[in-house]
Amino acid sequence: MDPETMKMLAVGLTAGLGLLGPALGIGLIGYSALQGIARNPEASGPIMTNMILVTAFCEAIGIYALIVAIILALIV
Amino acid sequence: MAKRRILGMPRLLLVGILVLFVLLLIVGFLVGPLGRKIFGDLGLPAWLSLPQPELHLPAETVFHLFGFPIANSIIGAWITMAVLICLSYIITRRMRIIPGRLQSAFEFLLGWLYDLCRRVAGEENGRRFFPVVTTIFLFVAFNAWLSLIPGFGSIFITNAEGEHVHLLRGANTDINMPLALALVSFVFVEYFGLRSLGLRYLGKFLNVGQFFQSIGHMAKGRLRAGLGGMFTGFIHIFVGLLEALSEMVRVVSFTFRLFGNMTAGEILLLIVVFLIPWVVAPLFYGLEMLVGFVQALIFSGLTLVFLTLAVAHHGEESS
Repeated sequence: MDPETMKMLAVGLTAGLGLLGPALGIGLIGYSALQGIARNPEASGPIMTNMILVTAFCEAIGIYALIVAIILALIV
Repeated sequence: MAKRRILGMPRLLLVGILVLFVLLLIVGFLVGPLGRKIFGDLGLPAWLSLPQPELHLPAETVFHLFGFPIANSIIGAWITMAVLICLSYIITRRMRIIPGRLQSAFEFLLGWLYDLCRRVAGEENGRRFFPVVTTIFLFVAFNAWLSLIPGFGSIFITNAEGEHVHLLRGANTDINMPLALALVSFVFVEYFGLRSLGLRYLGKFLNVGQFFQSIGHMAKGRLRAGLGGMFTGFIHIFVGLLEALSEMVRVVSFTFRLFGNMTAGEILLLIVVFLIPWVVAPLFYGLEMLVGFVQALIFSGLTLVFLTLAVAHHGEESS
């Protein structure tokens, strides 16, 4: 297999597999946040704020994978 | 019969706007690369479509000032600074007890941030951390939002090496700016920690108290207490080193979180506008505005949290 093909394969796999984890993570965060709101609708303000905070942490990991994919695609 | 108005417009105008929107959507789809793949070249005029976007990760130099290369993201950062300073001057020039619209908008924003600082850090610490947190928030948010203004990516200039480069670029998309902000946040965390706790703040990282205490036990002949203490002493030292490492890694994590979100957003906008020109961009503009605001909030909120942790007195201290 020539290097061009390998590079494309690498870029696709990096972006795809790397974003799998954070997607699951954010889904789990949403699940627990909604459960919390369902149990205690008055606390929905603080719950939403904390949910957004933790979601940004989780998303950052996915962004790391995206950066690697962009660097592979454009610079290497 | 009274004229029927939907959304404040006469019904005919609304229908006309919707038809125009759908027309532009169809034309844009047909003329962009997606439509060209599916339907072939329909002979539509070439000025309707966009050229393939070229993506440069490092920021290009525009001109040199006293020997320093000034990149287009630095010019973007200067524009943000100018906007923020002018806004602050205009708002505070004639402050009134019952504020006008612009003043009350900024009072709302600053009051909300002040409440956040007070809620997370406590009453007096919140006051101390408020300037740093708000500065980081406003700088990151305005950098992100100002780079969405139409025209920000369209002005080209030929620089000294003869390349055709963008004149302006959002400062958050150049990796040096998030790195600088992360370093500023790191320095402030250490500064506030040292100022509140003195040199005992460093005791969090060099946690050798338990270890020396156990050597003291051994020297006095209490062997079992000494050995147990030495074991926990080793663990304390290891945990301290891990804490120091995580402080350093925090800088890297801050940098890449902000840089990655902003660059990915910019690339997303470029590609979407290239794929379906004309009308799809507003959806992604909304997403970008939200992402800019959330990232600014995350950066400043995390700085606030780490500042609070740094000035907190530790619970257990070796006597």
